[in-house]
Amino acid sequence: MAETEQKIKEAISRFILDSINLRDLKEDDHLFETGIVNSLFAVQLMTFIEKTFAIEIGSDDLDIENFKSIKATSEFVLKKNGRIAA
Amino acid sequence: MEELVTSSQKAHYGQFKALVATEVEPFVEQWDREQKHPDSIIALLAKSGYLGSTLPLKYGGKAWDFITFGLLNEALGRGSSALTDLITVQGMVSMTLLKWGTDEQREIWLPQLARGETIGAFALTEPGAGSAIESLETKFRRIDGSNNLVLNGQKKWISYGQVAGLFLVFGNLEQKPLACLISQGTPGLEIEPIKEMLGFRAAGLAQINFHDVEVASNNLVGKPGYALSHVAPIGLQYGRISTACSATGLLRGCFEESISYASTRKIASQTLGNIGVIQSMIARMGTDLEAARLLCYAACRAEDEHLPESFAKTLMAKYHSSRAAVRAAADAVQIRGASGCHESSRVARYYRDAKLMEILEGTTQVHEHLIGKMFLDQVKTTSR
Repeated sequence: MAETEQKIKEAISRFILDSINLRDLKEDDHLFETGIVNSLFAVQLMTFIEKTFAIEIGSDDLDIENFKSIKATSEFVLKKNGRIAA
Repeated sequence: MEELVTSSQKAHYGQFKALVATEVEPFVEQWDREQKHPDSIIALLAKSGYLGSTLPLKYGGKAWDFITFGLLNEALGRGSSALTDLITVQGMVSMTLLKWGTDEQREIWLPQLARGETIGAFALTEPGAGSAIESLETKFRRIDGSNNLVLNGQKKWISYGQVAGLFLVFGNLEQKPLACLISQGTPGLEIEPIKEMLGFRAAGLAQINFHDVEVASNNLVGKPGYALSHVAPIGLQYGRISTACSATGLLRGCFEESISYASTRKIASQTLGNIGVIQSMIARMGTDLEAARLLCYAACRAEDEHLPESFAKTLMAKYHSSRAAVRAAADAVQIRGASGCHESSRVARYYRDAKLMEILEGTTQVHEHLIGKMFLDQVKTTSR
């Protein structure tokens, strides 16, 4: 489980760093309060999470606690039985 | 794009073009003059499944892929931008509900939208908030002792607002963006038709006024705080794909009209097409058309594969095709000369409609800001 969680964190971190002009990102950095994820990037990140981890995000999942950091997002993915999609 | 599609997608495209040739193009100038569509053409689009083309079968949709959807918009866009806009907004509302609606909302509204029994309108733009959607002044407030809300405000330039039965409305609740559904006939909802538009004259634009409109809590879409970051972008993405492909269809119309005219119109002893400056216009038009087709194909394919880059690819497709449509329409009128300036001329309508393509679903300047920033971020990432 720990290994899976680490892989999920790495995948999310890589996607964000490849998309946003950032040099570094810690797993507890607040993605919204710091402006790392703005309204234009939010849906791209959501699509990446759905596609990469084979989950579907619905209205009930729209909670800042699920997406506030890389750590929170990876826990959310695991809670939704996400996996690294082929 | 045709050479990249499957035989099934190609067969659909042939059907779309046949319907446009017989049911749209002979009547489109009349619809433009009258600034409305007859119920019969809307009923035909509904019967053909075009109003629910990407919705799942279980909601009465056709479950077509986005490449087929793109071809539908391209074929219809060749005939009528205003009519294609119905496909655009119907999809913007229904696909947003498919993603963020409750089970109850989906089961009530999606079959009606797919069958065309209800027309949807995407009520985001306001008199003072177009591209700057974060500046919305439409406001929700809570009702003491109730879960329901009250809505006040105005929306403007809303396509098909004149005939819509269902409005997806965006506003703010205590500084948090929120979306809701409001059906036609709700007390306090007022529709003011907008006439005499430059283009898209038959698209039934309207101003929508909300005077103390009560919104039941089960009509909220998504949660407070997510309407602009998550709810609206689903509709806008769909709208941009549709508009990009529709603009490509208009561009094809300009190209086909121009090469046909230039190859037959005589100037002294030669045809227009033998003149170098005319060849330059045709060359630019044809090359822009090919580029637009490929960009639209890439956007539709990314959407089909549910890739995060579909957002960027759609921005580029809409940016290029709308600007190229404006250039092509101007050149098509120029090639026609005086006859292209009369309202009976198809290229005159193309010229008027094309300009709106640069404004709908985000202006050219908004697209330049977003695309430019995206490219710059990628360069900095590479050099890290």
